[in-house]
Amino acid sequence: MIEVHELRKIYGERTVLGGITASFAKGQVVALVGPSGGGKSTLLRCLNGLESFDGGQVTLGGDVLLPGGAKINRAALQRVRQRVGMVFQQWNLFAHRTALGNVIEAPVHVKGIPLAQATERGRALLARVGLSHREGAYPHEMSGGEQQRVAIARALAMDPEALLLDEPTSALDPERVGEVLDVLGALAADGLTMLVVTHEMRFAREVSHRTLVLHGGQIIEEGPSKQVIDDPKHERTRAFLGLDRK
Amino acid sequence: MNRICWVVGLALAVLSCHGQTPTQSGLARVRAAGVLRWGGDIQGGEPYVYQDSEHGGRLTGFEVDLANALARELGVRAQFVQSDWSALIPTLERGTFDIAMNGVEVTPQRVGRVRFTRPYYIFGTRLMARRDDTRIQPTITSLRGRRVGTLSNSFSSELLRGVAEIVPYEGVEEPYIDLVQGRTDAVLLDDIIATRYGEPKPELRVVGDLADGFYSIAVRPVDGDLQQALDHAIERISASGELERILRSRNVWNDRQRRLLTWTEDDRRRMLGTASTGQRFGWSHVVLFAKGAVVTMLLSALAMALAIPLGLGLAVTRLYGPRALSRLAGAYVELYRGTPVLLQLYVLYYGLAPIVKLDAIPAAVLGLGMNYAAYEAEVYRAGIQAVPRGQMEAALSLGMSLPLALRRVVLPQAFRLAIPSVTNDFIALLKDSSLVSVITVVELTKQMTITAVDIRGWALPGALCALMYFLMSYPLSLWAQRLEARLARS
Repeated sequence: MIEVHELRKIYGERTVLGGITASFAKGQVVALVGPSGGGKSTLLRCLNGLESFDGGQVTLGGDVLLPGGAKINRAALQRVRQRVGMVFQQWNLFAHRTALGNVIEAPVHVKGIPLAQATERGRALLARVGLSHREGAYPHEMSGGEQQRVAIARALAMDPEALLLDEPTSALDPERVGEVLDVLGALAADGLTMLVVTHEMRFAREVSHRTLVLHGGQIIEEGPSKQVIDDPKHERTRAFLGLDRK
Repeated sequence: MNRICWVVGLALAVLSCHGQTPTQSGLARVRAAGVLRWGGDIQGGEPYVYQDSEHGGRLTGFEVDLANALARELGVRAQFVQSDWSALIPTLERGTFDIAMNGVEVTPQRVGRVRFTRPYYIFGTRLMARRDDTRIQPTITSLRGRRVGTLSNSFSSELLRGVAEIVPYEGVEEPYIDLVQGRTDAVLLDDIIATRYGEPKPELRVVGDLADGFYSIAVRPVDGDLQQALDHAIERISASGELERILRSRNVWNDRQRRLLTWTEDDRRRMLGTASTGQRFGWSHVVLFAKGAVVTMLLSALAMALAIPLGLGLAVTRLYGPRALSRLAGAYVELYRGTPVLLQLYVLYYGLAPIVKLDAIPAAVLGLGMNYAAYEAEVYRAGIQAVPRGQMEAALSLGMSLPLALRRVVLPQAFRLAIPSVTNDFIALLKDSSLVSVITVVELTKQMTITAVDIRGWALPGALCALMYFLMSYPLSLWAQRLEARLARS
């Protein structure tokens, strides 16, 4: 359902994405891994237009994103963003809204769903991420793990066809990582399409169907997750995974 | 301008309490110094004392000629000292100069406060109206209930008191501009002023002269001998024809001035009349002050109510608008922050009068509001930029449009960050609103300066005025502090 064709992005002299072509099928969970600065997050952010790109195109369902950013793609972007949710490393919960307020904001004001109906569904989503008891809490009153689970519920509230997750557990205290991964595992089991930029190799191996390794703005290796992570072919992948160091 | 004379006035009030009484007699002091220091205001303009632009800004005017002639008679040299016109008398009392001579009219209030010499000029209070307005007759009673422009604290304003609605001005050009525009029904001012600033306007006509008044030299009460010496000097230059020659050379001579040449002790008594001992500062003044405070508060609140949305629009346009509009918003901010609000008020009220004829209060609200919008815009811009970028990204990634993301996510947070600054700006605005007295609005500070002249003292009105500003601003200041503390906690 998401097609990336020859996607290029250049920052001055530096090529961040060097012509990436990839395709993500419905219901698939795909892990994007690789060393820092390899272009994983940039690729993810190009998919819903938070970053503009300089060449190639992205197709999501019927909508096409072209180089040139928000000016060119305004109409397509708004449709794409309503169909593809995003979860950030730093959660980015709306600081002036409660947990429930964060979840129902977009359904009410973007989709025009009546407040009562959105609230009912918002509560169900909070229950699904195990936070029914925190619906009245403000972001600054919650732990990182709780905030990230609210952020996932907020993204799900728009009924997205796919979810983009940008290092969803990197900013969490180690003891909080598990609760977020549990939620993501459950979503994967339900068949939600997800693209996850992650450093959690165990999660990538056990939950995702496919793994893409990005390095220097190129996909240097891809395949079924277990195969890529347990027995990578590319030496840089091996180095990144620490397999050559014994 | 107004604020300056207010501060000066307060300072003078404090100083004069401690009394800096000259030990020498006035005349001996002048003779010993060899200099007669005379106070005036160059801004009073032609023909009194002004800078001659054709001769490198040299001082000129009939009062300059007169000062030179009188100093010569006393055997000394004349030296001009610049002083704000409205502060001439307190500055004289303080001893900055020996005499005040700059169209100082003999009024009962002033008679009770300083010594006056025999007059050096007799003026008529000239009533002018629009050519097509036949309701105005050359009698004071025809002005009952009408809006009449004049200078603050002038002889003319004394005549109008209790009869007409007085519209007080600080300059001589503005009353006639407003009369042409229909903002007032008539202007009553000294004939010298009317001849130069009113009569050249084809839309206006002279209705008539209502009463005679006198320009006289003011001397400190303790300097009795200086006053007598000046009286003799004026008598001598009258008799010798020099006074007439000076007045003729400056085109201010007319038949009225013949009385100067035959001045008697009876004339003097009639001129001085009964000295007003000054009104007592009482409840009626407190009520006037309260009214002034209401005007100040109302003006400030309305101006802020305009500045907030306008500033918000400017900030958002500057940050998110198309390039051309963004530049325009930036230019607006720089223009309004980079020029004095006093000038902006002038342009809005007098400069644009031929195009948009605003009343004084709407002009004041608009002028202050547009000025403060520039400051608010910068406060909101800082507030918007202080909201983490992730908030906007999260909103956009949920499918919100940019305006919706701003309205629902970024601006509510930016507003909370901006509230303390906005409150501080409002407190500043309360005080800046005193500037609107230049466009005839009588607010708290103007009321204070008017009352100070009425009761011949700055201390009490000044203190009350300060107290009222404080009572308005302190609660706001407390509120801002509490808000700030609450924001710091969350």
